[in-house]
Amino acid sequence: MRWFIDTMVGYWVLLLAISLGLSAIVYEVFLKQLMR
Amino acid sequence: MFDFTVAGHVVPVFLLVLTGFTVGVVGGFIGVGGGYMVTPALIVFGFPGYIASGTDACHIAGKAVISSIRHRQLGNIDWTIALGMVGGTMLGVELGVRLLNYTKAIGLSGVTLLAASVIVMIGLFVYTQLETQKSHKKLEADQKAGKELGREMKVSKMPLFFQRIPIMPIIKAKRARLVISMWVIVIVGMFTGVLAGFLGVGGGFIRVPSMIYVIGTTSHLAVGTDLVEIVVSGGYGALRQSMSGNVDFMAVFFMIIGAMLGAQFGSLATSFVRGPAIRYILSYSLILATTGAFLRLIYVLTGAKIEWLSFIAVVFTLGEMVFLCLFICTLVYFAVRYQHGKSCPAWVPPLVVQAS
Repeated sequence: MRWFIDTMVGYWVLLLAISLGLSAIVYEVFLKQLMR
Repeated sequence: MFDFTVAGHVVPVFLLVLTGFTVGVVGGFIGVGGGYMVTPALIVFGFPGYIASGTDACHIAGKAVISSIRHRQLGNIDWTIALGMVGGTMLGVELGVRLLNYTKAIGLSGVTLLAASVIVMIGLFVYTQLETQKSHKKLEADQKAGKELGREMKVSKMPLFFQRIPIMPIIKAKRARLVISMWVIVIVGMFTGVLAGFLGVGGGFIRVPSMIYVIGTTSHLAVGTDLVEIVVSGGYGALRQSMSGNVDFMAVFFMIIGAMLGAQFGSLATSFVRGPAIRYILSYSLILATTGAFLRLIYVLTGAKIEWLSFIAVVFTLGEMVFLCLFICTLVYFAVRYQHGKSCPAWVPPLVVQAS
């Protein structure tokens, strides 16, 4: 787990995972019904 | 929820404010307008393409004004370079649009545009990333050796070549502390303008690395100076789009509310970091934007019918903005911790400035 914080590549991967996760939630909750 | 009069779509207002904020942070930090992130996001929110494009142009102009004011206060603008580049860019954009029309006329536009976009974006990403990694390592080594570190570190020798070109008029850019032929500045502006006009983008992500690696400014100065240029080009774009009725001003209003905070935070965040940190985020934005564009293209090319592909493309479009914003915010958080003598990851200290 420390690898995700202590290395820049790990931190990159961690933040990308968090960002995509948040975006997936936003899509499911707010945007799915707006998409045509 | 809010009903938009022009677009005729119901869009959650907080998403517009959030989009304005995140792109404001990113734009203020790396000196780009962010059109390559915002327009696809607005389309995802349900805006028709032309409204998304016009609304984005207006929001970019407003945001660039806010960021420029902040960067001016931070001393990150060189007006001589900014004015020289504006002239070159305007001419370049016109040439780029004509080049695009020519490729259209000979039936090459789709293929040429895609190939050119991918080559330019990936080329810039690879060069910026490799150069920044070397600079980061050098900063690390210097810090371990107990040397005093400056705000900028570049290992690229390319600017020296361009600064030695002896074509009159030679000008002195006072803030950037460099002497260079005016023609280099104008031609760099023109070249980036051609690419911007041809690829149909604002061009900040091409101009910022060009200013750093060709003209030889610091990363901070390239960011502030490019934002001045975006005020001019974005302002013109916003005017043209408004006159054509492509702008939803209510959406612009909500996005600017977010951008007002985001752009100031992003601009101020540059004062916590050294040059390589800005270039890292710039290179990440390049590769993420390219990947996002690829995903959207695959979705369209497969007939826009595969639902999981649509899901991935949308999530990536929103995720790239959130990622860049989070990276900048956490970098500032680590910088503050470091300045207060608290622990932070080992890769952070060479990238952030010490407390003055």
